[in-house]
Amino acid sequence: MDELDIIINTGSSVIQAFYEKKGSTLKDEYRQATAVAFMDQEDMELLSLNPRDKIDVITKWGEVTLFVDISHDAPHRGMIFIPKGPWSNIIVSPETYCCNIPTYKGIKGKIRKSDRQVLLVADLMRKTYNKYPSNNDQSLGQLPIYIKRG
Amino acid sequence: MEHKPITDYDEEVRHCCCSYCGNNCDDITYLLKDKKIVGVRHACRLGASKIINDQDQRLLNPMIRNTDGILEETTWDIALDKVATLLYNSQRPVLYGWGETSVEAIKEGISLAESTGSVIDNQSTICHGTSIQAFQNVGHPVMTLGEVKNRADVIIYIGTNPMDDHPRHLSRYTTFAQGYFRPNGRDDRTVITLDPKYTNTAKVSDEWIQFNMNEDYELFNAMRMVLKGNKLDVDEVAGVKKEKIYELIDIMKNAECGSLFFGLGLSQTLAKQRNVDILIQLIEDLNRYTKWAMLPMRGFFNVNGFNIAMTTQTGYPYGVDFSRGYPRYMVGETTTIDLLNRREPDFFLAVAADPGVQFPGYSIRHLVDIPVVQIDTHWGPYTELSDIVLPSTRIGVETEGTGYRMDSIPLFMKKVVEKPENCHSDWWILNQLKQRVNSLKQKDGAL
Repeated sequence: MDELDIIINTGSSVIQAFYEKKGSTLKDEYRQATAVAFMDQEDMELLSLNPRDKIDVITKWGEVTLFVDISHDAPHRGMIFIPKGPWSNIIVSPETYCCNIPTYKGIKGKIRKSDRQVLLVADLMRKTYNKYPSNNDQSLGQLPIYIKRG
Repeated sequence: MEHKPITDYDEEVRHCCCSYCGNNCDDITYLLKDKKIVGVRHACRLGASKIINDQDQRLLNPMIRNTDGILEETTWDIALDKVATLLYNSQRPVLYGWGETSVEAIKEGISLAESTGSVIDNQSTICHGTSIQAFQNVGHPVMTLGEVKNRADVIIYIGTNPMDDHPRHLSRYTTFAQGYFRPNGRDDRTVITLDPKYTNTAKVSDEWIQFNMNEDYELFNAMRMVLKGNKLDVDEVAGVKKEKIYELIDIMKNAECGSLFFGLGLSQTLAKQRNVDILIQLIEDLNRYTKWAMLPMRGFFNVNGFNIAMTTQTGYPYGVDFSRGYPRYMVGETTTIDLLNRREPDFFLAVAADPGVQFPGYSIRHLVDIPVVQIDTHWGPYTELSDIVLPSTRIGVETEGTGYRMDSIPLFMKKVVEKPENCHSDWWILNQLKQRVNSLKQKDGAL
């Protein structure tokens, strides 16, 4: 099987929140904890996935590449859990139905195995939103880039 | 990895208040050496991570984005003047955030919003906003966490996972804590979790009831029916067997004192505020038989404080629009995500919040086209979108302030260590902005 229809849930997980509040969002440790889809093991077998393989998650709202891991909370066939963060934001539904809250849970999407890179936060923000276009394709890395005074 | 107790410290500061989640644990001890924090006692993993943080990404100086698109350090005067001018000249500014700052700073923020005709909104707009709408619709059977600790014998968690989000909630207030009428702690209580997913909280509960995604409303309706003495003529509702629903209602009816906690699992799914509406009505119905009350599991340590400060000052809890000179509040109209989805704002300021982590990508895309300002302590995803960055201080660590716990109890948060030299508190920054906006108004003869 190449593609699997799936329901996506997002929410916070203790490890994701730990790195976010510690203030190390630019680093690989935050990517490892947040850019990951927790999946039912039987679903993973359908797509021949092993833990730490990569998947593309596609919804009506966008597409993002994430690591995949076995869910500790399985069984939940047909459902994946992604910790909240810049990666899951790309694919969640902004639809508020006039109730001010976007729909972060129960979003329909599909997943497939991928060999694309899972981006670090700085690169992800630059490539997704392209606010300050740059010709330089090099990764921005894990430390803040700014010009010091004096 | 071996963990050893920290012995190399010269000062203990006791009874500090944690500034992470809505629990606002007020029994934290900071360990200092040479006036620097080297350790922390009693805090959970999340609280400790905020107190002992990563200094690599700490914002230490104000920064403005240069023409090459790179942030460049500058002076406070230049940065504040630029923000004040942008704010003063914008038509539809949005001041967002406030969940992780003190009520004192929030008050200053409300005053700034009023004088600039801005929309002021906070994180509840994307988490418990719908719960607040439900409270406005049908009321709120309220309780304090102290009551739960001392009295509750049946505790229900719905659509929330406090073991991950509020790690000390169960041990300090609800499940494991010994209370006056519950001397044996866990043994005196029944804990039930209702969630589509087998969460860490479900693992420590007596029972986990799984229901189908987006079918919360049907389930609570069925529970109300059963409570009112009707019979279910289907075998299962929302994936839950009818016998299980009868059994659950029986446990709830026979509780001596019941407490219900609910989270974003209800407020962010499809039926949104209707889920909470029906749940409140279920609790009201239960009060015909025994004592029941409920609380939303609030995320940041002072989102509730913002709602309270806002309601006190303007009459509305969040998403308040001052553009006509008086406060207006209309859900879906003056709330941040809806404004961003409609591409309305022309200035966006986030105080102690990271929209890069919180907002859907579709909404963030509008921030690319408008001036964006950040007031925060650490470099985060939102900094990559910001044109101007103002470094602030951490409440409860470097600045004192007041925060409201999830059950609306105000707690004072001490200052423990000195702030970095060139950082200023949120209150100071907002006060400066207000003064500069006022002098711009005076120049224009508008004041």
